[in-house]
Parts: sequence; C-alpha cells; structure tokens
Amino acid sequence: MSAVDYSQELSVVEGKPSLRSIDDVIIKPLESKPDKKFYIALAVTVSMLGIGAISLALSFYYGTGLWGNNNPVGWGLPIVNFVFWVGIGHAGTLISAILFLFRQKWRTGIARFAEGMTIFAVITALIFPAIHIGRPWLPLYLLPYPNQHSLWPNFISPLLWDVFAVSTYFTVSLIFWYVGLIPDFATLRDKTTNKIKKLIYSVFSMGWRHSNRHWQHYEMVYLILAGFATPLVLSVHTIVSYDFAVSIMPGWHTTIFPPYFVAGAVFSGFAMVQNVLIFIRKIFNFEHIITLNTLEKMNKIIILTGSLVGYAYAMEFFIAWYSGVQPEQFAFMNRLFGPYAWAYWIMVSCNVIFPQLFWFKKIRRHIPAMFIIGVLVNVGMWFERFVITVTSLSRDFLPSSWAYYKPTLTDAGILIGSFGLFFTLLLLFTKTLPVVSIAEVKAVNDDAQPSHGGH
Amino acid sequence: MSSTSIKIDYTKKELPDLITKLGYGLFALGLVIAVIAYFTDHTRAAYNNLIVLMFLTSIGLGALFMIGIEYLMGAVWSVPFRRVMEVLAAVLIVLPIVAIPVYLNMHDMYHWTHSDVVATDKILKSKAPYLNMEFFTIRIAVFFLLWIAFYFMITSNSRKQDKSGDQSLTTRNIRLSAIFMPVFAITLTFASIDWLMSLEPHWFSTMYGVYYFSGTILAAIAAGTFIIIKMDENGYFAKGINKDHYYALGALLFAFINFWAYIAFSQYMLYWYANLPEETFWFIDRWEGSWVYASIFLMIVHFVVPYFGLLSQPSKSNPKVLKFMALWILFAHIVDLFWLVMPTYSKDGVPFGWMELGFPILAVGLVITVFATLYKKMNMMPVGDPKLKRGINFRL
Repeated sequence: MSAVDYSQELSVVEGKPSLRSIDDVIIKPLESKPDKKFYIALAVTVSMLGIGAISLALSFYYGTGLWGNNNPVGWGLPIVNFVFWVGIGHAGTLISAILFLFRQKWRTGIARFAEGMTIFAVITALIFPAIHIGRPWLPLYLLPYPNQHSLWPNFISPLLWDVFAVSTYFTVSLIFWYVGLIPDFATLRDKTTNKIKKLIYSVFSMGWRHSNRHWQHYEMVYLILAGFATPLVLSVHTIVSYDFAVSIMPGWHTTIFPPYFVAGAVFSGFAMVQNVLIFIRKIFNFEHIITLNTLEKMNKIIILTGSLVGYAYAMEFFIAWYSGVQPEQFAFMNRLFGPYAWAYWIMVSCNVIFPQLFWFKKIRRHIPAMFIIGVLVNVGMWFERFVITVTSLSRDFLPSSWAYYKPTLTDAGILIGSFGLFFTLLLLFTKTLPVVSIAEVKAVNDDAQPSHGGH
Repeated sequence: MSSTSIKIDYTKKELPDLITKLGYGLFALGLVIAVIAYFTDHTRAAYNNLIVLMFLTSIGLGALFMIGIEYLMGAVWSVPFRRVMEVLAAVLIVLPIVAIPVYLNMHDMYHWTHSDVVATDKILKSKAPYLNMEFFTIRIAVFFLLWIAFYFMITSNSRKQDKSGDQSLTTRNIRLSAIFMPVFAITLTFASIDWLMSLEPHWFSTMYGVYYFSGTILAAIAAGTFIIIKMDENGYFAKGINKDHYYALGALLFAFINFWAYIAFSQYMLYWYANLPEETFWFIDRWEGSWVYASIFLMIVHFVVPYFGLLSQPSKSNPKVLKFMALWILFAHIVDLFWLVMPTYSKDGVPFGWMELGFPILAVGLVITVFATLYKKMNMMPVGDPKLKRGINFRL
C-alpha cells in the first residue's frame, strides 16, 4: 500500500555533502560575477520599480486625485496592497521563529531566505500607508513626542497600533536576521581573498571565532529572539485585522478576523516563499539543501492555512445569516452576487478550491503544478483584501452614495512598482548575502549531531 | 548501543484496583448527586449537566484531534503515549448518554424551543430554519455518530498494529486523519453553536467555534499530560521517556493557554470597541452583579496563573509543575464552561451551590471509569507502531 518507511527519519539535506562543499555551493553566488540572466532579471524588476516611481512622482505632483479612491471608497488599492505585502512577510517569521520553537529541522534550508523576504515585504508594505495619508511629511506626528503643536496621537485608533506593531515587528525581524547572519559573515570573512570584502565581512561578523562560548551565547540569543518574534508576528496581522474589525462596517465587523487574517497572511507568505525558492534552488544548485521534501512540507502548510481561510469565509457567511442583522446579510449577498462578484469568485476559487489539490501527493511534489497553485494563491489573497476593503465600502449604509470603485492606471503603476521593489531587493540579496544559512545547514546535515543511541 | 538494536522492553503493568474503585466511587457519588439534583431543581441540574457534557466532549474530541494531528504531522515524540489519548477519546462513546438528560430538558433551557416566543420574535423567526428541534436533533445525532465512527476506525487500526506491526496501517490512519480534520472543524463548531451559543439565541460571534476549540484542545492536552506523567513516574511505560517529552507537553499547554487568551481577548475587544447593543449584551450579562467576579476569576484562572506557571523553560519540563498545572487547567476549563453556560440560567448573580460542585465529580468519575475499563483491554504503548522507537529516542 505504501512504500514509506515510518521508522526512519528523512534527512533534511540530501546526499551527505561534505562541510566544505556546503560552504562552496552557498558562497558561490557571492564570489562569482553576475551573469547575463541576472542582469536581464534585474532590468525587468528595475523597470517595474521605475513604473512605480513615475506613478508615485505623478501622484505627488498632481495629488491623490490620480487614484481611484473617492467617496464612498476611501480605502482603495493602497490599503489592499499594504495588507497584501504585510501578509507576505508573515511566512518568513513563521519559518524562522515559530518552526524554530517547534524544532522543525526542515526550516533550516529556507529560513534565511524567507526572513529576507519578510524584511523586503515589510519595507514594500510601509510605502502604502505613507503615501495613503496624502501628506507624507506628517507621519512624524504618529510618534508620541511632546511638540509645539500639542499634537498627540490617538491611542484609541488601531491604525496607530499598526504603526507600533509593524515597526516593532520590522526591528525584531531585522535583528533576528542579522544575528543569524553573524556566523556566516565569519565564514565569508575567512574565505574571501578580496581586501574590501574582508573588511566589510569582518565588521559585520563582530569578531566571531566559531568558539564554543560564541555558539552558546548565539543559541540563547536566537532562542530568545524567536520567543519575541512569535507573538509579534501574530500581533501584526491581528492588528491589521483590527483596522477593519473594530469598525461597524458590515463585512468588516466580525470576531473571527484576527485568527483569519493571521492564517491568510501565512498562507500567502508561504505561497510566495515557495514560488521564489523553486527558482533559487534550481539556479544556484541548492536542490540537495532545499529539497523536494521541504517544498512538499511547505505545500502542506499552504493547504492547512488555505483550509483555515476557507473555514473563516464559511463562518462569516453562516453567522451573517444566523445573526439576522440585515446590513450584514446584505454585505455578504453583495459580495457573492453584487458588482464585485467577479472578484469574490476569483478569491474563493484561488484560496479555497485550488489549494485543495495539494491533498494529492503527486501534485504536492510536482514542481510546475505547485508553482502555478502558489501563484494562484497569491492572486487569490490579493483579491481577498480587495473584496474585503472595496465591496463593503462601495455599498455602504446610504444607497444614494453607492459607487463602483475602479483602480486607475496610476494605482496599477504603484502596484507594479511594489512588485518591482520587492523583487529588486530580492535579486540584490541573492548576490550580496548567503541566501541559505551555512552554519545551520551544516548542523542538520546527516551525522552532524550525536544522536541518542549513537551511530 | 546502536539505534537498530534498541528493543522496546515494554511489558504491560496493570493498574492498581484503587484507580478502578476510585473511578466507580466518584462516578456513583456524582450520579447520586445528579439524580437528587434533577429531583430538586431540574432546570438548574440540566444546565450543570450541559457543562459536564461539553467538558467531556472537550476531552474526548480534543484527544481524538491530537491523535489525528500526530498522524498528519508525522510527529514522533507523542507516539509512546498515544494510547493515553486513544483511551481518553473513548469518552466520546458515552457522550450520547450524558446528552440525554440535557436533551429532555431543552425546553426549560433554550429560549428558541418555545414556538410561541419564536412566533412573535422577528429575529428568532428568521433563525428558525436552523434553530428548530428537528434539525437540532438530526445535527447532534450526526455529530455523535461521526465522532464515534472516527474514534473506532482510527483506534482499531492503531490496536491492530500492535500485533502485526504493519506499516500500511499507519498510512491508512494518516488518510483517515486527513478526512477527520475537516469533519472535526465543522462538527466541533456547530456542536458549540448548538449546545452553547444558542443558549442566547439572539447573540452571535464568528469566533465562537474557535473559542470553544481553544478550550477543547487545552482540556484534552491537560488531561493527557496529567495521566502520562503519573503513569511514567510509576513505570507504566517503557524506559526512555524523559524531560524532553515532558517539555513538549508543557510547551503545548503553554501555547494553547496563549491561544485561548488571544481568542478570548479578540472576541471581547472587537465587541467592546464597536459597542453595538445586539452584540455587547452577552458580555454585559457577564459583567453585571456578581458575574463581574466570575469574569475576573476566569481571566486569572484561565490565563494569568497558568501563563506565569508555565512561562519559564524549566517549569515546562518539571513533572510537579506540569501535574499541578494540568489539573489547574482542567479546573479552568470547567470555570470557562460555567461562565459560558450559567449566565443564561441566572442573570442576577453567580449560582453556586452543591450542584455546581457535584456535577464535575460525575465528569471526573466517568473519565476515570472509562480509562480504567479500557486500560484492561489494551497495551498502554503502541508496540507495533513504526515510529515508536524514534518517539522514545526523541530529544529536543
């Protein structure tokens, strides 16, 4: 019936590579000159970034009237994109912190890269609230400091909690990432022959000597940071969900929002990490480090979180009917059959239906198939935020003010620019830092750890 | 000692008679109290009976969930004591019997069962397609059937493996668990809506199923943790289970303590903030009169104490702390269910008397009796499970 042998543990790294070959294969992208393909990819992403920059410049020059935002839809694409990008960041911390606390060894091959994606995704996300307020010189007042204008932030607003949640999250993610990099900086320092590189690596490695005592401190710091990062990552999307759920807007005001948003964020983040890693492992020959088994496990998390999101959709819908509250019932019927029904059905099919294909082992381990499903998941999750934000607002309490929100070309340009920024940062990352943790992969290599019972 | 030559030196050790007697004794005592309670004040008794029903559902269904999760995740650390969870899941079999007295008294407990009230209440009328006795009965019957069916299918495969050691039984259980998960999510949610949320038929919350789930898992893990540590200390398992296994249990308890608090806080905060009268009244009922003390008591008992009790790393693997905390969390779950159910019975103040003390005895007695009865019939370690060796060798 099955060829799996449950009595044996699967190795995380395949083929028992020597320690030296692990060094070499991970460092190779940093030591070699970028090839043509890299420049082509960079040209594409930088062009996208350029489109975004032009759209932003136009928005600053002419004003936010260039966007589709108007009454009654005051929260258009900027909020949709913000929630989308913050969500993408969640997979990184889940892999690096939560799976670390769970002692999941398979995380080691992908943790560094996913953490990098977290940081880039949060940077990308932060553009949107900054421009959405329309007066980008004012956010300084979000910080509670005594000033001449007697301006004091409104602590009752979840939008302000967002400022603190996201900035704390970003800081801790960055420190977490950097701490993980320190041993690798030392390895790079010891390997490089280039003097300037050596200087840079020496500074960043902070005198790391791979000594026993260094490792002891490192392990403790890493554990504590993982403990900090875990509630933080949950709090970020929880508070993003509060932005919607504390209001009395039908379709937004529902208690399941916090866990539902967190599940959705991990869902889309994992799909993005899976998509990018499929390329990385191929291009840089990491197939024995980021194995098919690892990708399969990621797909399992996608199906789990996708099902949780599906559960939340179903509960919202059932309780809207059960509550007997008419505006709530209208909001959901409007989602299904109203003017934005097309967006709703894209969302449901991409988020709930297609990921269910991962129940089949063949599809879970088939690279083109999982790539396509991953892309669909992200399309679906972007539309989820679109559906939540726009459908409720476009048909609010006063039918006379109803309107159909349409994003403009400038909106689209900024969205394209955000993808450009994210992927440009990712491309630069692959050429400047080791995208897989050298030290951690060595530690999970076969025979690396004395196991109980001995070998 | 090489890993291939480790033999599992497990020989079954019988439970002392004292446990069986204790189970019967508590069960009989609880039963007597319950019968007297039904004769003195059947409404109040039925509400207490409902708390017991939901508490036992938590333990049985939560244990079955933990078994399913172990198979699906390919977890190894929990394999050596999976039998404890399998025995706890057997509580599901007696649930229909516990439910009968509640079912017979529903007319006095659930507002929506009064057809004259529903006829004049617009909101209840609109819910009538869902909240009516026929559909309710069908739903509850289907839930019980599904739970018991999955219990028998999953545990019988596991027991068959004791003799044959056939790996395909594990594969079969993985598939069963995959089917069980959506069934579990849907049935648990609607069981909690039907038995608990519909006590206040006007009130609604999309989080309700998740809230009950958080308590369910906590109760099941706590019951398991207490039994596992007690048994391990007295040598009922093979050698090799150590602090790392305990730590895994403690960490799970700690995680779900936080999860419960997160869900409870979010549900409260979102309704408090929006301040809509059709939603806030449920919390106001629990914040007026002496109920305010019950609410504060719940926060302390269900979150503050176990949070600080299990926060530090050593405490998560300290058997003394774990045993105490496990019992404490079981108590907290009863308090939680009391807090969910009883304001419907008495809005004016916290009803607390011999009935509230007596019914939990029935629950505890029943769990011990089920445990002691089934213990005689099976090995307490899944000796044929291919993951058992890895499970015993588990180190953090």
